[in-house]
Amino acid sequence: MNQPQNANPAGGTHPPVQRQDMEYICADCGAKNEIKSREPIRCRECGHRIMYKKRTKRMVQFEAR
Amino acid sequence: MPDGRRQPTFNTLQREESFKNPSKSGATYPILNEFVIPHIESFNALFDDSGLPKGDGDGRGLLSLGLKDIGERVVFDGNGEIGTESGHRGWGNRMSVWIEEVSIAPPRVPDRDTWSTERKLFPAEARGRLTSYRGRMQVKVCWSINGNIHPDQCVMRDCGLVPIMVRSSRCNLRNLPSSELVRRHEEPEEFGGYFIINGNERLIRYLILPRRNHVTSLLCPSFAKRGPSYTQYAVQIRCVRPDQSSVTNTLHYLSNGSAMLRFSWRKQEYVIPIMLILKALIGTSDKEIFEHVMMQDYENTFLTDRVELLLRSFKMYNLYTGDQCLEYLGDKFRVVLGMPEDWTNQALGAWLIQKMVLVHLESARDKFRMLIFMLRKLYSLVSSSCCADNPDSPQHQEVLLPGFLYGMIIKERLEEALNQVRNQIATDVRKAEPPVDFVDKRYIVKVISKVNWDIGSKMSNFLATGNLVSPSGLDLQQVSGFTIVAEKLNWLRYISHFRCIHRGAFFAELKTTTVRKLLPEAWGFLCPVHTPDGAPCGLLNHLSRTCRIVTAPLAVAHIPALLAAHGMTQAFSSSIDGRKSLCIQLDGRVIGWARQSVAQQLATNLRIWKTEGLHKVPLDLEIGFVPESKSGQYPGLFLFSTRARMMRPVKFLANRKDDQVGSFEQVYMNIAITPEEIEPDVSTHVEHAPTNFLSILANLTPFSDFNQSPRNIYQCQMGKQTMGTPSTALKHRTDNKLYRLQTGQSPVVRPHLHNTYAMDAFPNGTNAIVAVISYTGYDMEDAMILNKSAHERGFGYGTVYKSQIVDLKEMRGAAKSSASPTLHFGLGPDICLVQGEKQHGCCQFLDRDGLPYVGTKLDSGDPIAAYVDDTAARTRFVKYKGDEQAIVDEVRVLAGDTGDTELQKLQVTLRITRSPVIGDKFSSRHGQKGVCSQKWPAVDMPFSESGMQPDVIINPHAFPSRMTIGMLVESMAGKAGAMHGLAQDATPFQFSEEDKAIDYFGEQLLAAGYNYYGNEPMYSGITGQEFAADIYIGVVYYQRLRHMVLDKFQVRTTGPVDPVTRQPVKGRKRAGGIRFGEMERDALIAHGTSFLLQDRLMNCSDYSTAWVCRTCGSLISLGYDDVSLGESSAGTIKPTGPGGEYCRVCRALVEEEDERARHALATGQNPDRNPLPGVKVAIQSSNVFRSSAKGGDLDVVAVPYVFRYLCAELAAMGIAVSLEVR
Repeated sequence: MNQPQNANPAGGTHPPVQRQDMEYICADCGAKNEIKSREPIRCRECGHRIMYKKRTKRMVQFEAR
Repeated sequence: MPDGRRQPTFNTLQREESFKNPSKSGATYPILNEFVIPHIESFNALFDDSGLPKGDGDGRGLLSLGLKDIGERVVFDGNGEIGTESGHRGWGNRMSVWIEEVSIAPPRVPDRDTWSTERKLFPAEARGRLTSYRGRMQVKVCWSINGNIHPDQCVMRDCGLVPIMVRSSRCNLRNLPSSELVRRHEEPEEFGGYFIINGNERLIRYLILPRRNHVTSLLCPSFAKRGPSYTQYAVQIRCVRPDQSSVTNTLHYLSNGSAMLRFSWRKQEYVIPIMLILKALIGTSDKEIFEHVMMQDYENTFLTDRVELLLRSFKMYNLYTGDQCLEYLGDKFRVVLGMPEDWTNQALGAWLIQKMVLVHLESARDKFRMLIFMLRKLYSLVSSSCCADNPDSPQHQEVLLPGFLYGMIIKERLEEALNQVRNQIATDVRKAEPPVDFVDKRYIVKVISKVNWDIGSKMSNFLATGNLVSPSGLDLQQVSGFTIVAEKLNWLRYISHFRCIHRGAFFAELKTTTVRKLLPEAWGFLCPVHTPDGAPCGLLNHLSRTCRIVTAPLAVAHIPALLAAHGMTQAFSSSIDGRKSLCIQLDGRVIGWARQSVAQQLATNLRIWKTEGLHKVPLDLEIGFVPESKSGQYPGLFLFSTRARMMRPVKFLANRKDDQVGSFEQVYMNIAITPEEIEPDVSTHVEHAPTNFLSILANLTPFSDFNQSPRNIYQCQMGKQTMGTPSTALKHRTDNKLYRLQTGQSPVVRPHLHNTYAMDAFPNGTNAIVAVISYTGYDMEDAMILNKSAHERGFGYGTVYKSQIVDLKEMRGAAKSSASPTLHFGLGPDICLVQGEKQHGCCQFLDRDGLPYVGTKLDSGDPIAAYVDDTAARTRFVKYKGDEQAIVDEVRVLAGDTGDTELQKLQVTLRITRSPVIGDKFSSRHGQKGVCSQKWPAVDMPFSESGMQPDVIINPHAFPSRMTIGMLVESMAGKAGAMHGLAQDATPFQFSEEDKAIDYFGEQLLAAGYNYYGNEPMYSGITGQEFAADIYIGVVYYQRLRHMVLDKFQVRTTGPVDPVTRQPVKGRKRAGGIRFGEMERDALIAHGTSFLLQDRLMNCSDYSTAWVCRTCGSLISLGYDDVSLGESSAGTIKPTGPGGEYCRVCRALVEEEDERARHALATGQNPDRNPLPGVKVAIQSSNVFRSSAKGGDLDVVAVPYVFRYLCAELAAMGIAVSLEVR
């Protein structure tokens, strides 16, 4: 997290983008897709244009009332 | 069953199987596809490959026929050489432009997208990505110069993306079986019929129009206001061209005996003397017209007088031949029509008649005969030998079908584009810089590409708004309200959209209620039960269950010859006696004449032939035989084969075959409801089922024949507001709001149509044990008591799905034009992600990609998404704005059209749990709605001898005045069905006085060990004592309505106020209050509760304190002296208030007085003064306060703030308000 602020070599000062890839699920074929932020949204398998975010792995606990 | 077991009646396993393994060959319930057929087939009819039978035509689609009707547009380049044919008039080369063909392709992925393996676009993606389901439209524009057609002289032009009807012949879901539909994320029984615009499902509503190609006589007092000598009499015909566009011709009767033909061209109305048209049509002589109108009825002096006047009055025009008349017409209309300049007046006149007069007929002779018929009918109306037709009766109505309207709009748009091309070239020719060269293909291609051909966006706009933008008005009475959203609130509401039919927005404003009347002619076509109450009552109807709308063209070209062979006199015969002969018409064309007896025989023959399929007479032919009567409907034999008519199946008694009956002929049929009702030699038909006149929804009300009729109307409305199962593909839905009942059940008591229409796939309520008892008092006034344990077991538990869309392109700071966006989803470096104290609060809700965790619970104001603004280098949040707790159910990450852009759009489905609470609305299926008033603990609920407790308690007072006996029967039937494991058939009209429902279900109850009448002894849950009376208890299907307190409650103590008046604002959304109005005020005054009044109207509203001057009574003259540094040294006048307040008016007066006194002292004049010269106000002296205190005597009073505002406003008008302070 503590990366130094590095200027974009192509010119223009973008803030450092945390290029973490997140997994999404294709709405058409159900394939898992790792899409980095600022990458085009598109299924690698079928080229579909809708993705679902995966359900969180964190504990989800509600009061049952 | 051979093994002694009973056949299952709920079909649970069968249904489960069809859900698990949807049919691979077709639909499981084909009837669901049938009821949208008019929507889909009318859309298919646009195309040449419609799949519909060809009928008499060549199978061309409406768009091709429309192109033919548009024709060509002509321009001249003005540089023809003198001496050549085109040159000597100076026009030069003649170029004509026309549209050769138009094509609409199924929706496809754009070509720029090179990575998609599936090139077809499916509706689910359009819904999911909140875009429109559209296909590319292209036209081929051709031109020729001086009539030389060259294959090179054409160009394809793109017309943008046109919305495509789902499951039409242009849809990629066409003909897919259930299993494939499920794979495409649709319902297994998806039937289409709607368009998808920006993710919403919208459909074009059916609209009632006057019956086409049939002359109706009208009696309308407003016609007399059209001009001098106009009368209230007219006959009207709505003529429809083969491309389904229409023109209405009205023939007005003038008090001088002649008639005027009225039509409208580009929203402008024109009237032409009928004689001019008659002569222009076939160049006939006066004698011939006389003979044709008289038809040997020379003794009829009424007629002879009128015809004589008609002929005489035309003498003043001095037009004798048909060519002269055409010439005259062409001359008058040349400017209006805008046709090629080289056309002669005669050609223009002929063109006008062809385009505007009786457009359903091709030949002039046919038009002439029809006009003569109209004239005869008009004179017959005037002489009151026939009555006026009722335009509000379905007998004279048909339906505007969605596809036909769509085609008409496309046609008009194409025509407009073609006109623009013509005008553009004409402008270029006029400017002549550079001079226009018609031979230069590049120039013409440039002009064609310059013109706006984007028809797709115009069609999208039409569907999105329902507004019709049209230069001609399309012969329709309204310009807006053509489309509606197909809300998937629940299944019943959804399917009702496809069956609803509107009378027209024009009639909604009408003060008279005659159009709303339920007419006997509507029997079997429009449901008498299924109409909303309130403003649209009777205007918005629903088609009956079995009512069809004819969409296929029929082959009837051989019918005239067939009839002639069986005794019809041909139309061209000159010796027809008009007194004895009836006119025989086929689709508004006079095909012959026959005596009444012959005509009747022909009608009977045709009916037998069409039911038995003989002589190729199509079954959908409508045979309207109107017999002669004393001043009844104008007699004749009227045959209709055109589309858009309402028809319904009945059984023809003569040969026991199925017959289709139209709304025109039905009036003259004798249709028995049940076989027992058939009267020999009277009845012609019998209904297939006595419930066929009800709509689908009305059919689903159990035992509706036992209920008072308004209760069934209420149930039709409430069924559509129920929280049920909107869809089985919930995961793929992106609707703004969806209501879902978690614990839906199959009703024990249901009509058999419940199974036919697959209602069990979309359960709409819960079977509840209902006791009819006055218990605890909490069931007064339609309240109902819910068993708390039933509630805890999930009775009526519901969920609301709301969707929130986050589109970064619409956010503040988004780059409007540049290719690379400046906003990106995600968490920027300014957000601390490290776990611990310093972690940013949003990390509880948002993932690293800036999207919410799926499954998180959100409260109002919590972040739902985060995005980084590149320019500001900061992370911003989108907040959840609802005021209830919501759970993130689904996060959809949406790409652009081609899938090559980064994430800019997000759709979040939020789930809001709605367990039933006090104040939620429930209803049975009999219009018996009630509000939950208590969730009563199970221990305190009454119980029966077997220990059963009710889920719901309702009050017996709900029944006597409402007379919903159906609910009582349902209760018994449900109880018996639950005990025996039977799905009870609740189809109406099954029982009779001899075979009573009570007995049938009573026996069943008896067999199950219950009391015959369904009541049983019960014990108080509180004391344990038996009630004095037996309690009626049974099983009733309960619906939970979507009206819930959580959406409605409105309460405030303090909150936002209006900035001007400082009174509380109104509106629930803005946390406003409910108005405490004048009448409420009156009530408090009458009660003498003055403190309450004070509290409501003053303290809780705009209480304020103000300084008022006791001297002058002014509220607005407050001034301050600065007393912070001690006593002012202003002089003799001292401020009166503790903070230095003084009255500016009074001080000014005093100062002025002092000044004058000083002045008088100085000059020695008489201090006789007039304070305000020239102004005289009549105020009683007692109302003017001017005490001796100099500079005013200020005091604090409590006044409403608006009063101060009023004083200020009045002061601005020069009116001073003076208060008396005591």
